[in-house]
Amino acid sequence: MSLLSGARLASTAAGAWRGDFGRALCAEWTKLRTAGETGRLLLLAVALTVAVGCGTAKAVKCPDAGCGQDAVKLALTGVTVGQAVIALLAVLAVSGEYGTGMIRTTLTAVPNRIAVLTAKATILTTVVLGSGTAAVLASLLAGRYILPGNGFTEAHDYAPLSLADGPTLRAAVGSVLYLVLIALLGLGVATAVREAATAIGVVLGLLYLFPVVTQVVHDPAWQHHLQQISPMTAGLAVQATIHLHELPIGPWAGLGVLAAWAAAALLVGGLLLHMRDA
Amino acid sequence: MRDESKSMKATIEVIGLRKRFGPRLALDGMTFTVRPRRVTGFVGPNGAGKSTTMRVILGLDAAEGTALVGGVPYRTLRRPLRHLGALLDASALQPSRTARNHLLWLAHSQGVPTRRVDEVIDQAGLGTAARRKAGGFSLGMRQRLGIAAALLGDPPVVMLDEPFNGLDPDGIVWMRGFLAELARQGRAVLVSSHLMSELEDTADHLVVIGRGRVVADTSVSDLLAEASGGRVTLRTSAPPRAAQVLHGAGATVLATGPDTLGVTGLPDEEIVALLARNGVPFSQVSAHRATLEEAYMELTRDAVEYRGIPAGETER
Amino acid sequence: MTATLTPRPPATRRTERGGFLRALHAEWTKFRTVRGWVLAMAGALLVTIAVGLLGTAAPAPGGRGAGSASYPKGPGGEAVNDSFYFVHRTLTGDGALTVPLRSLTGAADTGTGRTAQGAQPWAKAGIIVKESLTQGSPYAAVMATGGHGVRMQYDYTHDMAGPSGKAAQESPRWLRLVRSGDSLTGYASTDGSHWTEVGRAKLPGLARTVRAGLFATSPEAKQETAAGTGFSPAVATGTFGRPDLTGDWSQSAWSGTQVGGDAGTSGSYTNTTEGGFTQTDGGGFTVTGAGDIAPVVGGPVMGVGFSVENFLVGTFAGLIVVIAVGTVFITGEYRRGLLRTTVAATPLRGRVLGAKALVAGGVAFAVGLVAAAITVPVGERSARGRGFHVFPVTSATEARVMVGTGLVCAAATVLALGVGALLRRSGTAVALVIASIVLPFLLAVSGVLPPGASEWLLRVTPAAGFAIQQTLPRYAQVLSVYEPSTGYYPLAPWAGLAVLCGYAALAFGLAVVRLRGRDV
Repeated sequence: MSLLSGARLASTAAGAWRGDFGRALCAEWTKLRTAGETGRLLLLAVALTVAVGCGTAKAVKCPDAGCGQDAVKLALTGVTVGQAVIALLAVLAVSGEYGTGMIRTTLTAVPNRIAVLTAKATILTTVVLGSGTAAVLASLLAGRYILPGNGFTEAHDYAPLSLADGPTLRAAVGSVLYLVLIALLGLGVATAVREAATAIGVVLGLLYLFPVVTQVVHDPAWQHHLQQISPMTAGLAVQATIHLHELPIGPWAGLGVLAAWAAAALLVGGLLLHMRDA
Repeated sequence: MRDESKSMKATIEVIGLRKRFGPRLALDGMTFTVRPRRVTGFVGPNGAGKSTTMRVILGLDAAEGTALVGGVPYRTLRRPLRHLGALLDASALQPSRTARNHLLWLAHSQGVPTRRVDEVIDQAGLGTAARRKAGGFSLGMRQRLGIAAALLGDPPVVMLDEPFNGLDPDGIVWMRGFLAELARQGRAVLVSSHLMSELEDTADHLVVIGRGRVVADTSVSDLLAEASGGRVTLRTSAPPRAAQVLHGAGATVLATGPDTLGVTGLPDEEIVALLARNGVPFSQVSAHRATLEEAYMELTRDAVEYRGIPAGETER
Repeated sequence: MTATLTPRPPATRRTERGGFLRALHAEWTKFRTVRGWVLAMAGALLVTIAVGLLGTAAPAPGGRGAGSASYPKGPGGEAVNDSFYFVHRTLTGDGALTVPLRSLTGAADTGTGRTAQGAQPWAKAGIIVKESLTQGSPYAAVMATGGHGVRMQYDYTHDMAGPSGKAAQESPRWLRLVRSGDSLTGYASTDGSHWTEVGRAKLPGLARTVRAGLFATSPEAKQETAAGTGFSPAVATGTFGRPDLTGDWSQSAWSGTQVGGDAGTSGSYTNTTEGGFTQTDGGGFTVTGAGDIAPVVGGPVMGVGFSVENFLVGTFAGLIVVIAVGTVFITGEYRRGLLRTTVAATPLRGRVLGAKALVAGGVAFAVGLVAAAITVPVGERSARGRGFHVFPVTSATEARVMVGTGLVCAAATVLALGVGALLRRSGTAVALVIASIVLPFLLAVSGVLPPGASEWLLRVTPAAGFAIQQTLPRYAQVLSVYEPSTGYYPLAPWAGLAVLCGYAALAFGLAVVRLRGRDV
């Protein structure tokens, strides 16, 4: 084992890393492209995000000025649902290989395991950036048309949703980054636990359990802390455009919390991948 | 229950199976019978329909036609493993379950007592490995575990799909003896393989299939005799003259090389006599003994789905 | 593919009873011999308990001491608010009290020092006969309300409507309450001579000597704004004419008591008022009070406290685990081709799935039940110890919640098994089932959606099943926020569970059909 890992390290040190990474990148892209389900899952993620966003925008009314609703956050509600599909996509990118034993083929083709993981992360980031941008832009566009009909009008102090508005742009960019980080979190967890069912359970548990538990916590301080460390609640703070001072955590800081979770998952996953037998 | 299984016929009858996978006809009127007290080899190239036929016999796949185990469809059997023991895919195991526990749940599904589990573990030569997780087994060990599972219900019919796969030479010898023993006990044994050589010293009877249908249903000796076809190879320094003489005696002669002729229609001793009488020089006369492998190749020539180009013929 | 191969004689299937038991035994052996699954189920039990207890482990509210908080309990054992201003004398044996109510007015704080005049819809003033001044003691009362006419109410949960309309100076509302043994009858009149019976109450075992007199009380004012629902302090003032007594009344003067000492969890006095009474010229009374005589319900009026279902928040964590195990129980066999061995051993495929569902569902049921049976009593004790209210429920309700938690776990597992058999992919199946159960719940309770949409979500999605855990009651005569965000499900407990079970049955049925019709 030590001999093998030594060999892996040596190849890295020899500056072959770039070559490894390049080849791994090409290979991962071909794999993801030809997997068949990738395209369908990405489409599903976009469709669900936009559909739930539209549904929420249609359901919420703003009867008068000062109704306290965050129009941008409303339009982007679908991200809470779409993230499940993105997480699944990321998990399947790794667990699928372990399930079929193809991971051994992959690691035989590119023995530098960290290069493989980095390549997977890069490809995932790219495709999720693309589909996430599509989902977020479509959601905002839908909100721009639907919300004014529900009372989100100039008269009630709501300008039409527009990316020219600073906070809206931040929410949009942040939501796309949020989805990317969810994918990376899924990738890290799946690399660490390998089995698809377990991995998706862990990821969805991490995302959804915090907000559920927060519901029953009475102590405001505890509630606050829970929201600050919850990858979903903190991460989605980036979508807020009003009442920023009431947020448990600042928009970018919140996204940073999610980034920390994703980084931790990738680190653990990478370490285990490096040390463990394939 | 014992009575039911002992009184039933130890046979598999397959009559006119037809099955289509999309545009491909996987089974095209497959018909044969597996009889007790002998090992029936089920051979054919990859994709000929061996595994599909076995799955249909087990009621796993649906197909037109009839497949009967001891005279009844498999799916109507109450404790099916007491009628037919099958090994399809030795790797079909939950890796974290021990071998013994794998057999245990199978036993429970048939109402077979736990003691029988330990019996088949011994019979299959699993020994102490039975308490280990099956996930760590070699292919050979998995085959043995699969055999143990097939024997669990002490069935009169045993059906094994490619049981020689992954066995080491010792294992192959063991498997041959084991199959012969099963047949000797009066069971009907159906063993599939895509390699005739594996079955050469094992099978008493052969069902050769290609493209979803039976191309030969015969005993091993008949198949050999038929494949040899009485061809004699003659080496001579005067091929035209030899051909003329033999032709005149009613034989069919083919030039197979610059100084060799293939002769059919005359037994080898008569050829020697003829040539000697006519003063034709010859250096060698040999009756061609076909191997089972050649007979098989001959039979399945048209049935091979994917044929590789022989190494010598590839362009450099 | 026409399957002429397998003409299964139905007779064989019917006569064979032991077959299912054998399949069940086999599946059970399969389940218990995979250590990962057994450990996962044990883990599900532990996380359900741990998350539940940690989630409710917040320190005591406002530094209250141990045991200082518990709701008064009504005669039926239910939590009640019993806070009102009471002007009373004792009545021994049978008797009656008749009084004209000249007005019912009120005032509410609307924040920042402003006050809104007007009685709350369920502000109450009238006649009450109550066993004692102890909170939760049996009572019967006939009263005028701010917005619901004359009512006859007794023992907290019972409410009967009388004539509608408001009492006013020029048209007083006459009220009469007659005691005869353990039977009390309320009457109302607009002129003091023509009487209508409002209702009759039986208070079994009512003491011979009781407190009786006039009362006024008002729950907090509910304010709907676009940003949400708020509650603010409110009081009610009843102006009575001279009471007319018959029967054996004590000779002492009328005395005033704030029953309960404060206004309870559903009421509070405004900054400028306090409870009290004054005697007017001509023997009348003006009584001002805040609070409520009503059962406690959920929402803001519940105060700082836990209901039983709060302790079961860990169910979500446990569910995620049992869903993953339930899925892998079938998808693992597909992945490895083991299902062929299984079906060869048990050719009736519906039987295979049935046995699997029973085994996985049974284990999940046990996990949910045991987890609830441990978490609820431990959580209650610990919360009470830290000074929290714990909403009391009957043993029957508690049993329903515990068994229901087990059933939710079982149904979710069967749903996962069915979806797993249909999709054959464990990751996708687990994601779908978790998302379909947990996501609608999250969206519904987060308060993002308007109540209508939230309730719709909890009606038609598998998340409806959590209704089985609801213990908070809903009463028409108590204003609160009966919405998913406050723990109220739109469906009745068993109806909600039936929705989840329906999804499980649907997935299971489709899986059986699919498995029967396909090559394995």
